[in-house]
Amino acid sequence: MGSQKRIAKELAELVDSPPEGIKVELANEADLYDWKVYLNGPESSPFHNGTFLVKLKFPNEYPFKPPAVNFATKIYHPNVTNDDKGSMCLGMLRPDEWKPSSRVVAVLQFARQLLAEPMPDDAVEGRIAEQYKNDRARYEEVARDWTRRYANEKA
Amino acid sequence: MNTLSTEEMERFQKLSNEFEPDVQVRGFRLIPHQNNPADTRWQGPLVSTKQSTQAIAIDYANADPTLVTKTSTLALTHPTSRIMKGDGNCGWRAVAFGYFENLFALRDLVLIQNELVRIKSLSNLLDQVGHQDYLYEIFVDATEQVFTQLIQAIQDGIRDDSFLIDTFNVEYSSNAILTHFRLLTGAWMKLNPQRYQAFIPMPLDQYCATRIETVKSEIDEVGLQALIDGVIERSGFAVEILYLDRSQGDAVTPHLLTTNQTSIETIRLLYRPGHYDLLYRPEPTVNMEPVVNYQYAMTSNYSPWDQGALSFDVNPTLMSIPNLMMDPAFAMGAAPMSPAPISPPAPSSPYRVSSPHEVYQAQIPTSPPPPPVQMPSPPAPRMSAPSGPPPPMSSLPNRPSDGPQIRLNPLVMKPNLSRSLPITTPFKNSPYNQAHFQNQDFEPIHWEPSDSRK
Repeated sequence: MGSQKRIAKELAELVDSPPEGIKVELANEADLYDWKVYLNGPESSPFHNGTFLVKLKFPNEYPFKPPAVNFATKIYHPNVTNDDKGSMCLGMLRPDEWKPSSRVVAVLQFARQLLAEPMPDDAVEGRIAEQYKNDRARYEEVARDWTRRYANEKA
Repeated sequence: MNTLSTEEMERFQKLSNEFEPDVQVRGFRLIPHQNNPADTRWQGPLVSTKQSTQAIAIDYANADPTLVTKTSTLALTHPTSRIMKGDGNCGWRAVAFGYFENLFALRDLVLIQNELVRIKSLSNLLDQVGHQDYLYEIFVDATEQVFTQLIQAIQDGIRDDSFLIDTFNVEYSSNAILTHFRLLTGAWMKLNPQRYQAFIPMPLDQYCATRIETVKSEIDEVGLQALIDGVIERSGFAVEILYLDRSQGDAVTPHLLTTNQTSIETIRLLYRPGHYDLLYRPEPTVNMEPVVNYQYAMTSNYSPWDQGALSFDVNPTLMSIPNLMMDPAFAMGAAPMSPAPISPPAPSSPYRVSSPHEVYQAQIPTSPPPPPVQMPSPPAPRMSAPSGPPPPMSSLPNRPSDGPQIRLNPLVMKPNLSRSLPITTPFKNSPYNQAHFQNQDFEPIHWEPSDSRK
């Protein structure tokens, strides 16, 4: 199937020249469709110095459906569900906005950029979004605290 | 007084909540049976096998009278059709399938090889707008595979096109081929922004990102024109849309999207608001004589109409304004302009099989199109065709090499041609209308007591 060929090439590109703050590996050597991604919190964000494990799962229909992005590391963020799934689904990751010509590296950079600049109007955690908009200092304080507590494992 | 039990009341409440009226657009049923599982547009395969266009007429049998008349006429002028699934890709799929289907029907291996080379060479458009080959190569592969299938099938002497239908019904290959065509269209638009920007409501890059390069966004008129311009037109195929709407007239409104003077085949799209299907003219072996009015059949099937002889400017921009076509003067010009002769889409034509090279050369620019012919050649008796017996259809060998063939009869010059066609008026009250009790598909509308309670 063509999707395997493409995922393999995208993986090779990411391993050969990893973009800043992003490290990629297969969760299981036998399964190209299941990736582990380590995102370093961007310097400008309260997630700085944290390392976030993100699971990237490619559907069988890839690249005609977007990969699923789930934070395995707990994170205090308006666009990531605060549950055991940690799902993030907005912008280019929505099936109706997804383009088959999008690159995985763009997906990962998008996810990392979202750490620096949340999109409170597209929030899945309304309470955190409210706080982000109305009480930024408190938001950053909690986010920093969670980062210290949950995201300090070195990859 | 209330003798209904609570349970029954709840049941009625539930029925009432779930009731959905038929889709109404501006007060009439434009899209019949949207919730009807029998309507293959919503439930069927991605690409259907050829079916009788009567099925479309039956869908509209109880709709607005204009639509009844138009679909009844359509079932005669285009007796078969192919239904695309309405999943957001129908327009893209209709064009792509029609393209490959026509290539297969022509059975010209040289043409297919040339087309394969041409389509693959379009990858440089993708490179020019910054797509990386490892991202798009699987889509090109899928398209190339269809070409390989076509070649193999023709070499094996296969005439049945079901392998092509199967390929287009496999989700992966269908998506990959359409994504390939979408990416080519987007790249073409980005490289020719001046042609399209004025017609779209947003910056071109954003339009391509949200309307063209996605997985399931419906094609619109601008995107369709770009797909034809960038991907299809240089194949030598013409693409014609037949609009089924409530505009004045008794037949669907045709509109040619290509500007080729001559074309080797025509892909015919049926457009109903928000949906595209494929339409086919009668196979040459089908005897239409008892049914179709001769005048109509002849005038609408003439091969390349000489643009110079038309009373208006065949400017593509002008022609792309749909409402213009409602003007009887324009509608009249547009029908005969259809460049494809009645000639066989089927491979059975000896002409196509024996001289593929001749056909193919017709599009090489070094051989200029024949000069406008001022038509007096037909013998006088034929000018009085309305009263005389018309020649059998098989005696109209509309070969591109013969140059434009224009045989006017008095009706052609009537500005209100479409209204005066004898084919039209009888249908409202004729057995060809499914709503007529003598029609073989006629089904009386039954009143059921339960209907009134819904």
